[in-house]
Amino acid sequence: MIEKDMILKQIGKIIIPLVQLFGIYIIINGHLSPGGGFSGGAVLGTSFIIMNLIYGEKFVEKFISKKFFYKLIGFSIIFYAFVKAYSFLSDIYNLPHPIVGEPGNVFSGGFILYLNIALGILVASVFYIIFSIFIKKEV
Amino acid sequence: MEFIIENYYEVGAVILFGVGFVTLMLHSNLIKKIIGINIMDTAIFLFFISKGYILGKEAPIVTELSKTADNYINPVPSALMLTGIVVAVTTTAFALGLTIKLYKHYNTVDLEEILKIREES
Amino acid sequence: MIELIPFINILFLIIFSFTIIIIKKDKIVKFMSLISNLAVFILSIFLLIQVLDNGTLLLNLGKSSSLLGIQFYVGPMEAVLSVVFTFVMLMILWFSYSSIENEISKSRISFFYILINLLLASLLGVIYSNDLFNSYVFIEVSTLSACGLIILKDKKENIKATIKYLIMSTIGSGLVLMAIAYVYSITGHLNISSINEVIISSYQNHNNAVLIILGLFTVGLGIKSAVFPLHSWLPDAHSSAPTPASAALSALVIKVYVFMLIKVLFRMFSYEIINDFIIMDIILLLGSMGMIFGSIMAIFQKELKRMVAYSSVAQMGYIVFGIGLGTVSGTAIAVYHIIGHAVTKSSLFLISGLFIEKTSSKKIEDLKGIGKEMPITLGLFTIGAFSMVGIPILPGFISKWYLSLTCIEVGRVPLILIILASSLLNVLYYFPIIINGYFGNENLEGKIYKSKKIELKRLMPVFLLVIAMILIGAFSSRLIDLF
Repeated sequence: MIEKDMILKQIGKIIIPLVQLFGIYIIINGHLSPGGGFSGGAVLGTSFIIMNLIYGEKFVEKFISKKFFYKLIGFSIIFYAFVKAYSFLSDIYNLPHPIVGEPGNVFSGGFILYLNIALGILVASVFYIIFSIFIKKEV
Repeated sequence: MEFIIENYYEVGAVILFGVGFVTLMLHSNLIKKIIGINIMDTAIFLFFISKGYILGKEAPIVTELSKTADNYINPVPSALMLTGIVVAVTTTAFALGLTIKLYKHYNTVDLEEILKIREES
Repeated sequence: MIELIPFINILFLIIFSFTIIIIKKDKIVKFMSLISNLAVFILSIFLLIQVLDNGTLLLNLGKSSSLLGIQFYVGPMEAVLSVVFTFVMLMILWFSYSSIENEISKSRISFFYILINLLLASLLGVIYSNDLFNSYVFIEVSTLSACGLIILKDKKENIKATIKYLIMSTIGSGLVLMAIAYVYSITGHLNISSINEVIISSYQNHNNAVLIILGLFTVGLGIKSAVFPLHSWLPDAHSSAPTPASAALSALVIKVYVFMLIKVLFRMFSYEIINDFIIMDIILLLGSMGMIFGSIMAIFQKELKRMVAYSSVAQMGYIVFGIGLGTVSGTAIAVYHIIGHAVTKSSLFLISGLFIEKTSSKKIEDLKGIGKEMPITLGLFTIGAFSMVGIPILPGFISKWYLSLTCIEVGRVPLILIILASSLLNVLYYFPIIINGYFGNENLEGKIYKSKKIELKRLMPVFLLVIAMILIGAFSSRLIDLF
């Protein structure tokens, strides 16, 4: 039995993981090339939205539930706040820094990598939650 | 006239701001008003970012270590405007959420009809 | 370690507000927000003692160069303001523990506490920061939290009020951002002290640009702080929000933007050059029109909270009037009025909330004879109203007295008439409530004495606010000398 959106589902199986991988690539290369937390998070969030549109909301609920998204938001902001505070304090009081390698490597540039990752997770969760609230027509 | 032709980025930004403002004021549909706010914010970002442009230099991405800081444009305005863009997106999302609530109560998105209904109640 | 206090304050509040997202039980949420606000209040007192002993505090975050890093500047004005704001927020939170269930539905109570903490964090950020773009970010956060606080109650008038507030605030923020872009293009710095040095030496070369900057800042910050012609969002927004939220909005939020205007006008462009421009006369004119127009509109209102909100518009006129005079003493009076009005208006709004809750109606006519049923509450309202009108010893009188003295000092004596006229108009709308409340004879039969009394522990925060108001009035001369 061929369903109405069979083409969408089959293509979705191939494309969605590639989109997520691309989003993660943009986040991790934030300090070497244009991109960073915001744009990478937007791409990652869009992949969740596409999953919701093609496969229905129950599928995404089994994958990551909405309560888990809320907890991700809380934890990533607290993580971001602590790392930023640590970076300010370590400049004033000469506490240890993370490694500053040569420019061009992934593990270079100090705190920027970890901040970008937290930011990317945060933006993706917020995109998906705002979309799911809009589509239920109740705010 | 030379003034307009030389600083065409800034003149374009101000014209775009005017377009956005007129859209905000003259249309009665709420969604068009929100689009007007977006256009206004984009005009301000264009204005700010164009203040960092230096003629003949290239974008500030370090690919080889041999170039010093003189070869790049001023990156400070672009970095600041990233924050501004995020704020504009958040405000748009909030305004759209409020529009959905308004639609559920009044069944229309047109501001004049909403005002008429309110006066009757 | 004491110099890190401004940064620790803001960080505490943000971290506590976001742990509330993870935990969702009501009792733990209330306890956590109480602890975080109490801690911030005590730290602000330490900061005040430090600044009074050692002079102004400059905190540089990031590497120690001040041109590219974030800088916090805490002088005596900012330290006193932060103590007052945290104190008022603490009292509002204490009041809200018992009254918030009557106003918004149960599932949204945790959102209320998240938004209040974020609001206080962003307000403290605007007060402390010495960097133009940093304060722009904090201004945006405070706008969004304030809009969120209004929409927590789910009625039709709330949604309309919030959309109006949101759109007008966004326009205001856009104008402020454009002004920051102009400042950056003239001077190349974003740090207020550095801009001061550049502008003093070279402002005559850029006459047009400086005019545009001043105009954009005034209009942009004026929209957000309800200066006269741009105040139309204020009555709807402040009267339809839940009571603790409207107290926080009217007492704290609109003040912070006018404090930012003070910083821009008097710390970026110093006192000597600002009087060359015509903008000070325009600000003076708008302030006086706001004083009179706000009071006139308040007389015609039939709902209690809308009347108190229009009174806020009139009081903002006083503050803008003080700025427009353009001298050090004028600015000191403006900041003193910010402090006095914060304490007074928050207690008035909280008492209005108690009245509305007990009589189940929002109109002023239903308050006749309420003095027999809630005598202590009406007494506290009376003290607050006396301060607004200008009875001696209370802070309202001291602001008007010193404003008149500054008018004479600047040489524009006819402006004293405007101050007197607005005081008389204030009497016209506050006193009928008090007189009808105590002596209104139509409704007195059938009402039992003290039947709708509020328990003492709910009135405690309002008591403390009124006592603080009297203390601020008593110690006024010491406070004003500080600025």
